[in-house]
Amino acid sequence: MKKLILSLFVFVFGYQLYGQTYNTFEPSKTQFMLRGYGHTGFEYMDSNDEAESKFLGLTYAPIFLYKHSDRLMFEAELEFKLEGNELEIGLEYADVMYVLNKNITVRAGKFLLPFGTFMERLHPAWINRLPNAPLGYGHDGIAPSSGIGVELRGAFDLGGPRLNYSIYSTNGPRLNDGSEEPEEAGILQFENFEDNNLAKAYGGRIGILPFSDSSAELGFSAYSTSGTGEEDSQYEDVGAFLFALDFSYVKPISPLKGIVDIKAQYNNSNVDTATFIEVHEDGDAEEYSFDNQSNSFYAQLSYRPTMVESDFMKKLEFVGRYSDFNAPEGAEWEEASVQYAFGLNYWLSWRSVIKLSYQTTETEGGHGADGITNTDGLFIHWAIGF
Amino acid sequence: MKSIHKITVTVASILVVLITIVACTSTKEVYTPVLEKEVADSDQEFKIEKSGAQLWGEVCNRCHIAPSPSDYNDTDWETISLHMRVRANLTEKESKKIEEFLKSAN
Ligand code: HEC
Repeated sequence: MKKLILSLFVFVFGYQLYGQTYNTFEPSKTQFMLRGYGHTGFEYMDSNDEAESKFLGLTYAPIFLYKHSDRLMFEAELEFKLEGNELEIGLEYADVMYVLNKNITVRAGKFLLPFGTFMERLHPAWINRLPNAPLGYGHDGIAPSSGIGVELRGAFDLGGPRLNYSIYSTNGPRLNDGSEEPEEAGILQFENFEDNNLAKAYGGRIGILPFSDSSAELGFSAYSTSGTGEEDSQYEDVGAFLFALDFSYVKPISPLKGIVDIKAQYNNSNVDTATFIEVHEDGDAEEYSFDNQSNSFYAQLSYRPTMVESDFMKKLEFVGRYSDFNAPEGAEWEEASVQYAFGLNYWLSWRSVIKLSYQTTETEGGHGADGITNTDGLFIHWAIGF
Repeated sequence: MKSIHKITVTVASILVVLITIVACTSTKEVYTPVLEKEVADSDQEFKIEKSGAQLWGEVCNRCHIAPSPSDYNDTDWETISLHMRVRANLTEKESKKIEEFLKSAN
């Protein structure tokens, strides 16, 4: 017995020792990557003759990728940002994905929503060709950026052309009823971790790549919910329907000696009309309502002279972008804005870029403001992915 | 808005069913790599399949600048390929072919 135990021990221990000494460096099945991106920069803004300038603290977004098998994977992104005098931490996304078969993948958790393409595919600082998002995205934007729920997605090969789809259900948006922030009454808030009612949001996107060289893609997205207000409140059944159209074209063009890249997206948001309460300075309360429709649009053209002789020129990129945003007439946040942005980029590597940009924005209205505000901005940003 | 919502939910449900049916009835369940040689040898009547290298140049430049094969090792390319296949909604064939190319050229 003793001998048996001893030989077993020698065998097990010896095997371990052998394994450690002669590591075969077989890749393990479970793979882990820690990646992410960051950006920093300097901004100068001149708004109706009031100037402001600042260095930006670095925004750091680590991304965790765990691949458990050829089908199962987990992805998560945190975002650390210095905002005001505080450190803001956000969970951009955290989801699991499982490849069911060649055409269907299921995702669950908090994921970036394929509502158009900007938020899901183009917003990271090392991908976006300009230092900021177009009008209509971000904090006061009308396009949802992420959601908590489940999604099916995938692609079909149509023998040349390709079709991709995504279809999801999430907790859905929350209507700001104005009880706490009367100046924001009627705005849809998408950043909810807890659902405020039983109504879920349903949505999806269909993308078509008509040419076999994948140069162009056309997409249509929809997002709909039958209720956005607090349960048992008069806003419970205020529904919303949003849609987006997106376009992308990327192609090397020899006569132009470079790559032309066009991106565009139109968003439209339509929320059921509801009655909100405005409290005047003298304490009188007045009911009001408005046609709650918003829209935004952007189109961007960029060009990289990748086929010229000069190594310096090859790394340059020229960008122009038009964007506009319209918030409903009659709302406290009524607004009509137009922005032109121009940029000159220098690519240090495929994931690191120095961006110089000039932007001019004309805003009519806006949160609590009256009249027209003209803002000119100068940005120097450095973005890096790793 | 209620009717638009109902239509959206109905269309979504029909799509889910359709996609499931199409995906489950297509016979070739698993992608089998076609060797470049076989493609070259095969009858010219067949459409010449794009190589992994060509697909890499076309597909991986659509959203960001395409990384070169030497930017990552084989293990990392496997993780990245699965990540991109899902995020960019690529077909299995595209993503497998590009992965093979990236792993062979790094
Ligand atoms: C539809 C847009 C799109 C296409 C097409 C695309 N990518 Fe990406 N790629 C992204 C986005 C978005 C990210 C950033 C992911 C994040 O930070 O959340 C990314 C990130 C990456 C990264 C960083 C590591 C990682 O996995 O996040 C690598 C490497 C990469 N892509 C390689 C590729 C390759 C190779 C291809 C061609 C097969 C490709 N990409 C095609 C959108 C795309």
